[in-house]
Amino acid sequence: MRDRELTTGQEARSRSSTDAAEGVVLPVPTVWPLVLALGVSLMIAGMVTHWVISALGAILAVRSAVGWFFEVLPHEHHVTVPTAVEVIPVVSTRETRAHLPVDERHRKLLPIETFSIGAGVKGGIVGGIAMIVPAAVFSLVRFHSLWYATNLLAAGGFVSWAGQSNEFLSQFHALGLLAAFGIHTLTSLLVGLLYGAMLPMFPRWPILTAGFIAPFLWTGLLHSALAVISPILNERIDWPWFVISQIAFGLVCGFVVNLQVKVRTAQFQALPFSVRAGLHGDLQETEDEGQ
Amino acid sequence: MPFENFDLTRDYLTHPREKTPVSTIPAVKGVDETQATQHARLPAGVIHEWLTTVDHKKIGIMYIVYALIFLVIGGIEATLMRIQLAVPNNHFVSPQVYNRLFTMHGTTMIFFVAMPIMFGFGNYMVPIMIGARDMAFPRLNAFSFWVSAFAGVLLYFSYLGGSGLYAAGSAPDVGWFAYAPLTAKVFSPGHSTDYWTLSILLSGVGSIGTALNIVTTTLCMRCPGMKLSRMPLLVWIYLVMGGLVFVTISPLTAAQIMLTLDRYLGAHFFDTQAGGSAVLWMHFFWIFGHPEVYVLILPAFAFMNEIVPVFSRKAIFGYPAMVAASVCIGFISLSVWAHHMFTVGLGAAGNTFFVFATMVISVPTGIKIFNWLATIWGGRVVFATPMLFAAGFLFQFLIAGLTGIILAVAPFDWQLHNTYFVVAHFHYVIVGGILFALFASFYYWYPKMTGRMMSEKLGKWHFVLFIIGFHLTFDFMHIPGLLGMPRQIYTYEADRGWGTWNLIASIGVIFQIAGVLCFVYNLVSSYYRGKVAGPDPWDAWTLEWSTSSPPPEYNFAVLPTVRSRRPLWDLKHPEDPDSDYEI
Repeated sequence: MRDRELTTGQEARSRSSTDAAEGVVLPVPTVWPLVLALGVSLMIAGMVTHWVISALGAILAVRSAVGWFFEVLPHEHHVTVPTAVEVIPVVSTRETRAHLPVDERHRKLLPIETFSIGAGVKGGIVGGIAMIVPAAVFSLVRFHSLWYATNLLAAGGFVSWAGQSNEFLSQFHALGLLAAFGIHTLTSLLVGLLYGAMLPMFPRWPILTAGFIAPFLWTGLLHSALAVISPILNERIDWPWFVISQIAFGLVCGFVVNLQVKVRTAQFQALPFSVRAGLHGDLQETEDEGQ
Repeated sequence: MPFENFDLTRDYLTHPREKTPVSTIPAVKGVDETQATQHARLPAGVIHEWLTTVDHKKIGIMYIVYALIFLVIGGIEATLMRIQLAVPNNHFVSPQVYNRLFTMHGTTMIFFVAMPIMFGFGNYMVPIMIGARDMAFPRLNAFSFWVSAFAGVLLYFSYLGGSGLYAAGSAPDVGWFAYAPLTAKVFSPGHSTDYWTLSILLSGVGSIGTALNIVTTTLCMRCPGMKLSRMPLLVWIYLVMGGLVFVTISPLTAAQIMLTLDRYLGAHFFDTQAGGSAVLWMHFFWIFGHPEVYVLILPAFAFMNEIVPVFSRKAIFGYPAMVAASVCIGFISLSVWAHHMFTVGLGAAGNTFFVFATMVISVPTGIKIFNWLATIWGGRVVFATPMLFAAGFLFQFLIAGLTGIILAVAPFDWQLHNTYFVVAHFHYVIVGGILFALFASFYYWYPKMTGRMMSEKLGKWHFVLFIIGFHLTFDFMHIPGLLGMPRQIYTYEADRGWGTWNLIASIGVIFQIAGVLCFVYNLVSSYYRGKVAGPDPWDAWTLEWSTSSPPPEYNFAVLPTVRSRRPLWDLKHPEDPDSDYEI
């Protein structure tokens, strides 16, 4: 190593790594990783050639391991590489950044308050309970059994149940009840969370949005998807009753979510203190007045 | 000649209104010992220096050169296969030789080209982009490289030493995924399969070592101010890639050990006649094999994340979304492996899970593509050679992704499994995606690694020839696949209707070879005669461009302090730094 100073680890540690004037401390070049790799490779190659090759590989591996250890123990060997500090110009071909043109009427509308996750969960639970009522009425009226709708929902988990007879689906099945409970709870919670997240985005006509538009939309989506995924199950579902139960869910869930207290978002912190303190109206109003 | 007058210099990147350098901020330049001094040294001294080096940059370059050598070898094997398949009833090579060719081609390209070249760029770029002086474990880094290198040598030594008992075999001939029970001693006598097994086992050791280095370096050696939220996207992606390597190489190594035990000690892991399971091998292999695609494509994404913004003259769009998408891809890629196994009879539940998991991974991947497009949108795009290859990548990777979604649908896969449609899809990912991204990164970082610019004229020729060749070969390869042509087939009858498509695919190889020759000539000639690059020829923004080209051994004489994701922008524009905008 010409023009370089060999040092041990203790000396190296005592130096500042950023001390460019005295040089930079780097690990010393070494042949042992190469020799160890060769040794390991020969040990393996001996399995398909001759045991002598493996033996040679083992000797090289042991020797290189010893060499390697002595390079790092008790102190790691380093070299100090001299540096030259020189000022070079840092230039750019551009003067500054160009911002995308923004229309004067451009507005960024971000909610300063939203529903908490808990609001969505509560809405989902209560809506899910409310939905059971029309589903149970449907089962009793059409099949004189409470369990038909339950088992049909369970068919979402047990694929073969979609093809079972009405008698089978009208009977009580503990497994079916368990599966239906799981599916119903999960979907109710997920839709409840969705309501919690989305309702602040639709501030007008929350009853119409949550109680009617959203249930119609996802019923249509489910109807189309189920026709592809499971046509038999699709045919067995009474869709008008299904819509009624969804509306029951939507109305109750939306109502419960709207009852909850909203929490402030990060955007609230960006409002002027006077607005946050309640001395003035919100930012939107202030800007409009300014114009 | 379309690019006759094209000459890439710094001025080419300059907008007419912005010719004047606007700031001269003092920076620190290190002593360049890697190039100038080498010319004056004896060859033996230079060789000794490279053999004993623990410098991450030299190891990175050795990885890249080693991978390029194997790229040429793998390319020759592919060419021989395309000659064989160009016309029906061809006997250019024997069936035995053909089997060895596709096995060695696949194994070489995945394990000894793609993996090492990605590790090479990672080795070179990760420390320097986070403002570190070297990898966390420099000696382990050197060991990892040499083990990988010897693994490749061991694989090709099989041509000489693979005969074994009964003089059967030579090079391995069991395909790059080596399905059981073909690999059993009774079907593959001799040592050819053992060479395959042991060389991959050995290369896995190197891969784990390098991944460990990349992850540790990224987590522990960032310069002051380089928070995770300010790390270049390339480094983020290499961090994810390193994690993936940990998880995926382990089952592959386990499978190789089990196979070795089967073949040497009479174990029965994959011996179906003795109670073993051939499907077990498939699971082990593809638990490695599919995430491996992401181990390779993620660095390609990383290169795009650096190249697209610089040549669009805009900051990357949606940095947090890009990070999240990369991490998501890392996790989801671990749950898609069995889409390679739809035809083995996984059952409805298994098929459904893997169909959906495979489709879900297209979401974060789609986010990336949209973000690259949004970065380009409204930018002052400069179609220098790196950006041309980047554009090729964007288009081709999109097509590859779409055919991937087609193959993710289990019933469709049942029709196309093991056909040339799958081969075409896979090569669209590997060549159209990864190789194009690699070419882009060569043109982009070659000036940093050597201090010389590559010829823009030759680069453009390379791009044009290669993209023509690529589309001739791999677009038309889909069609015989749809017509039922199986993969790994030695030859075919004339009346199958596959002849024309195969001929076109083989003609495409000629263009690809011409393109690669331009590239290789460019690499070599630019090293000696290329224009001097200077530290920052692309007017870029990440730390590697703040030091000299090539960087000194210690990378930075004074460790940098960063305050944003584009530290060099901040240095160039102290009046309008990114740190004023980033949250």
